[in-house]
Amino acid sequence: MELVYSQRREREEVTSLPDKDLAIRARGGDMLSFETLVTRKTPAVVSLARRIVGNGEDARDVGQMVFLRVWSELHRYDERYSLNTWLYRIATNLSIDFLRSARSRERAHGATLHLVQEREQSTAADATRTAEDAELARLFETVSGSLSEKQKAVFVLKEMEDCETSEIAEILGCGESTVRNHLFNARRILRREIGRLYPEFLRGRTL
Amino acid sequence: MSAICGILRGSFEDYIADALPAPQRKILRDHLAACPACRDLALEKDPTFLFARAVGDAVEPEETARILAAVKTGVALMETEKRIRRSRRRVAAGAVAAAAVAALVLLMPGARARVAPASPVAAAPAAAPAPSPAAADSALSAAALPADSASPSGDATVYDWNPGAGREEPRVVWIVDRGLDI
Repeated sequence: MELVYSQRREREEVTSLPDKDLAIRARGGDMLSFETLVTRKTPAVVSLARRIVGNGEDARDVGQMVFLRVWSELHRYDERYSLNTWLYRIATNLSIDFLRSARSRERAHGATLHLVQEREQSTAADATRTAEDAELARLFETVSGSLSEKQKAVFVLKEMEDCETSEIAEILGCGESTVRNHLFNARRILRREIGRLYPEFLRGRTL
Repeated sequence: MSAICGILRGSFEDYIADALPAPQRKILRDHLAACPACRDLALEKDPTFLFARAVGDAVEPEETARILAAVKTGVALMETEKRIRRSRRRVAAGAVAAAAVAALVLLMPGARARVAPASPVAAAPAAAPAPSPAAADSALSAAALPADSASPSGDATVYDWNPGAGREEPRVVWIVDRGLDI
């Protein structure tokens, strides 16, 4: 009884720790801290991965890979820097790798079919999103097909995750001018694709 | 239209050009989420304003729990592999250390005098005459001839790794006695 109580207290203590402390404790082999970190960061990581790889199932796979990478690379984490930036860097790179993989290319052929199916049978996760957000997410999946992996990652980080340009540069390991360049090109392509597929939005239609 | 609408509408182009400082950027995004008139105007200017907001992309607690369970399994697997690799390294290092010690013992000056009496030949039954240290010595002298050629006790063969070495230099000699029934 005493043991159960003390374990619960320890869990509560760990839950209240900031991200960096959890990372430092996890680096020392504390599994409870690592589990807390995974639970806390999963929504952000999966959400980012979903924007980049385009569907929930693949985003979950990427999410798992991200946290396994975090566990094996924790000794490299420098606590002077933001944990979120480090985590986003791993998540973005793995999402880009995933997109580039043969499996993703195969899926891209069936992207249209996938979108239609997804529209028809909305998953449990979709049901919890607001209809507007779900519509916006689908719209982005459709029009972002022509973006390169880097352009897509930059646009998602900038517009949907609201990261600063300097942070995106750090996440992607490139210069700020490169980020701005990717962003500029991504907007140009998206503008063209929205005009082609959803011309009503050019006339100012909102969701 | 409020007063702030007029001010913020002038910053659409800066937003698109990524020239707005972070606080103003946040104010504009928040305002666009709350003001349909400004949002319509922004979309007319640039349709990519559609995505200029955080999309509520909820991850179900069950989904998080599934990912956590998969990650824990993966971590356990990684740690097991690491332990196996560590133990293999230990075994390999132990074998290398044992071989090094054995070589060192054999190469030490005077080692042959200590090694010879304890060799299997010395412990052989009467059927295979056991060489004394002196016999081993004479075997070594014989081994100065081409390797694999000397037989100190009839059935025994002496393998000498450096037959050309003088008496003061370390020698490695291997005596194989076929007379032994092991």
